Amino acid sequence: MNGALDQLFLAATLLVPLAMAGLPIVRPWRDRALRLLPLAPLPALAAVFLVADGTTLVLPDLLLGARLAIGEQAPPFLLMATLLWSFAGLYASHALADDPRRGGFSASWCLTLTGNLGVFLAGDVVSFYVLFAMVSFGAYPLVVHDRTEEAVSAGRVYIALAVLGEVAIFAGLLLASVGVGSLLIEDVRDYLPLSPNQPHALAFLLVGLGLKAGLVPLHIWLPLAHPVAPTPASAVLSGAIVKAGIFGLMQFLPLGFTLDVWASLLTTLGVVTAYYGVLVGLTQRRPKTILAYSTLSQMGLVMALLGTALRAPPEALPPDVVLAAAGFFALHHGFAKGALFFSVGVAEKAGRRVLPWIMAVAALLALAVAGLPFTGGALAKLALKEAMPDGPPLTFVVFSAIGTTLLLGRFVLQLAQTGKDSDDARPAAASVVAWLAVSALALVVPWLVFEAITGAPAATALEPEKLWDGMWPILAAAGIALLAAAEPGSDLAAPAGRSGRMMLAALRRLPRPRLPEPTVLDAAVVRSGALAERLETGLVRWSIAGTVLLALALLTILTLLL
Amino acid sequence: MTAFLPVALLLTALVPAGIIFFLPDNRERLRAFINLTGAVLKLVLVGYMLLSVMGGAVYEARFPLVPGLDLWLRADALALLFIALSAFLWLLTTIYAIAYFAGGENLSRFFGFFSLCVAATVGIALAGTAITFFVFYELLTLATWPLVVHKGNAASLAAGRSYLAYTLSGSAVFLTGIVFLTAGTGPIVFVDPPDMAAVEPWLARTAFVLMVGGLAVKAAMVPLHGWLPIAMAAPAPVSALLHAVAVVKAGAFGIVRVIYDVYGTEVVQDLDLGLPLAVLASITIIYGSLQALRQNDIKRRLAYSTVSQVSYIILGASLAGPFATIGGLVHLVHQGLMKITLFFCAGLLDEKLKITRIDQLDGVGRRMPLSMLAFSIAALGMIGVPPTAGFVSKWYLGIGGLQAGEIWVVFVLVASSILNAAYFLPLLYRAWFVPLPDSPDGERRVAGAIERPWSFVAPPLVTALTALLVGLFAASPLSPLAWATLIAERTYLP
Repeated sequence: MNGALDQLFLAATLLVPLAMAGLPIVRPWRDRALRLLPLAPLPALAAVFLVADGTTLVLPDLLLGARLAIGEQAPPFLLMATLLWSFAGLYASHALADDPRRGGFSASWCLTLTGNLGVFLAGDVVSFYVLFAMVSFGAYPLVVHDRTEEAVSAGRVYIALAVLGEVAIFAGLLLASVGVGSLLIEDVRDYLPLSPNQPHALAFLLVGLGLKAGLVPLHIWLPLAHPVAPTPASAVLSGAIVKAGIFGLMQFLPLGFTLDVWASLLTTLGVVTAYYGVLVGLTQRRPKTILAYSTLSQMGLVMALLGTALRAPPEALPPDVVLAAAGFFALHHGFAKGALFFSVGVAEKAGRRVLPWIMAVAALLALAVAGLPFTGGALAKLALKEAMPDGPPLTFVVFSAIGTTLLLGRFVLQLAQTGKDSDDARPAAASVVAWLAVSALALVVPWLVFEAITGAPAATALEPEKLWDGMWPILAAAGIALLAAAEPGSDLAAPAGRSGRMMLAALRRLPRPRLPEPTVLDAAVVRSGALAERLETGLVRWSIAGTVLLALALLTILTLLL
Repeated sequence: MTAFLPVALLLTALVPAGIIFFLPDNRERLRAFINLTGAVLKLVLVGYMLLSVMGGAVYEARFPLVPGLDLWLRADALALLFIALSAFLWLLTTIYAIAYFAGGENLSRFFGFFSLCVAATVGIALAGTAITFFVFYELLTLATWPLVVHKGNAASLAAGRSYLAYTLSGSAVFLTGIVFLTAGTGPIVFVDPPDMAAVEPWLARTAFVLMVGGLAVKAAMVPLHGWLPIAMAAPAPVSALLHAVAVVKAGAFGIVRVIYDVYGTEVVQDLDLGLPLAVLASITIIYGSLQALRQNDIKRRLAYSTVSQVSYIILGASLAGPFATIGGLVHLVHQGLMKITLFFCAGLLDEKLKITRIDQLDGVGRRMPLSMLAFSIAALGMIGVPPTAGFVSKWYLGIGGLQAGEIWVVFVLVASSILNAAYFLPLLYRAWFVPLPDSPDGERRVAGAIERPWSFVAPPLVTALTALLVGLFAASPLSPLAWATLIAERTYLP
């Protein structure tokens, strides 16, 4: 079924937000553009449900022959991204109504959205690359929006690594597509295990896509950039945009083939990321930064999962099971993390009377991320575990839930310090709606779509054994927290006792990752400049003389010969 | 008809030149009219010829120059690629230059040489033999000099001197190379390449080194690039044309001709000349970017960027294989579109706000939004951010490099992209994200009538939009990519 209407729908998913990015240029429409933000992702949302399976939009003249389709893995990502972007748009449309830079904000919001949705729809490598770049560059204005020193400095790290990621993806796609004879993503992926360029291609792709998803050690931009953006932008950055990297890995990694080195590398880095995120996150004080580290940690789990699937069955589970689990996990994490970021924004505007309620909802979401039974998160954890073969990686994933509970528990406690110094201050209605809606989505939607995505009945999660699997890490974490709290002068940051505290203190002393200050950079340029200047002056002087001499010498030889 | 069109193409620029030289300086309108008529006529002719050449037609005209040496004009697909670019950009540059110089002095002299310069470019493109090429190549050198020194100040005159010293020595070496090879093979006719099998390899190699070495001066390959940053003393429209179509491109185009139509790609690889040239081009790409990074003067930064970017064309030509060829050829057009945009904008900044240095760019995006929009598109294109034109060039060059078995080409492209980002993004950051220095909030000061007249601002907007569209619709049959593919097909599948 490839109806013209379906194709038109598919085109509209990207054209509508793209066109809306142009609205704020016309000054009288600047405010309207902001108010319309919640509507921008709706065509894509509708497309998830309405467009017939297998619809492909081929645009032979566009780029190097573009192709859009809702592929097998796309629906959970699209569903999560469209809803989250839509509610975040609602939040933004009120939170930024009086912002002097709202025009630029709306424009880059819509550009980033277009790219984010497009990454999930791209059928060929060039479209994928174009849309991925749109996400990376489009999000920069969102990161630096507040123009504080901190935002600008985070923006500098962000853009430097974004450029690095873009060129890495470029090189990876080049290396992977040469010799394929087609630019379709599936053809490129299928050829990858055979390609003579496989090691280079995989290395570049892993760097480029892993960077976006926060793979340690490429993560340094993420905890800096996600928290400094305005709250709705933080929510989509941490909820939806990191998934572009995950989705890219799902698209390009040749799962199901035995690539032992890559399997070990990605699994190890994934596990390291998962635990590193928890450990460093525990040392942080600002709620948004803690959430960013939690994102790091959760994405580490997905990458560890994908890593285990870089082996052929029976050593690994079949690729479609793994991909479905990764998609489902991403769906839940997107909603939950988005809602948690909203809760920070809501809490900042809340007085003492409503703050406890906000913290209660946040705590529920936090436990959901840790896998609390009966929440959507329990299903996400279940899908993840069922898709991994028995072995150390699985054990690491299981135990990570303790860390997640501690980390997000600390987040909830820190949230208590953010409220307004008044009794009755209330957050704006729109932000509360967005926050509660996305919280509800996080808790409920996974139950509705579990079977459709993973093929297993959601009731599996209600078996007593599974309930206990979900429950004990949380209880263990609670125990650790109580023990730590019982020790005088300590807090949740010291879950593993004295040695743990010492390690964390050492971590805290680590310099915060940031690029050299401009002055330092300038000094470096000046120093290297002196050398370059000398080289250049020498070359310039040498080259005139050299050219003439060469010409004369050869003329002489020539005349002698003739 | 077949002989008429190439000649007519030359005349559309030569005749205006001839008339304009004798116009009094104050006949501005008449001069503009003649200039624009020539430019539009040329564009129409080129459009017609593009269609016919696509269908397989070839236009030729021969005139005896001296006994035994013919002046031979021939419009093949490669020639038209270059001519189409120059016709399009000439029209826009003329419009821009008229606005730029409004009320200036010595304008008949300027526009006369300007037209002559374009005529020489057309001649270079159409040249069917090495000697014809050389004649126009020299005409270009001489016609450009008065443009470089147009301002008449000390810096311009010094720039002019260094320009002549470089290019004339380069031409001498080039000519030596032609003579050298001609002595071994007889007259070098591009359509009928000399039989290299009959030539001693050492002679063939020496001649190649001389010819390419001579051409490399205008193509600004390191270490022969020294004249280019100095020539920044010229007025903005001249820099724009110099960097985008005329001088620098003439050198690159010459190298492309030597590789494809004198030696042929196979011979170049058999003689082991391809790889060294590719390495030299790569060194130039990286070195030019490194030097660009440390310039604070906008035009000088752009000049070093040209040094770097033009060598993409040479890199593409020196790697064997259709994709590399396509990448190199299409970059001839893409670089032209993007670089002319950047220079147009640099000229606007200088004329309207007296901004010549990067540290003066703070908040300028609010005062000249249209110009900076064009500038941003072109700069992102230079970095290779998709979907701009630069991305398409890099993609084809990268695939070409890999097909030739040279994986390091990918690393050169990656390094170059990073360097390009490092020297272009700070400009965009200052222009768009830093507030104007004299208004702390930077929000309310919006330009009223700075970006006027339209003939001054429209050219960079048109070129920037084109640079975006040729990338966005690269696969369309009307794109430069399609034309470059056609040339590559005719080269590799005769």
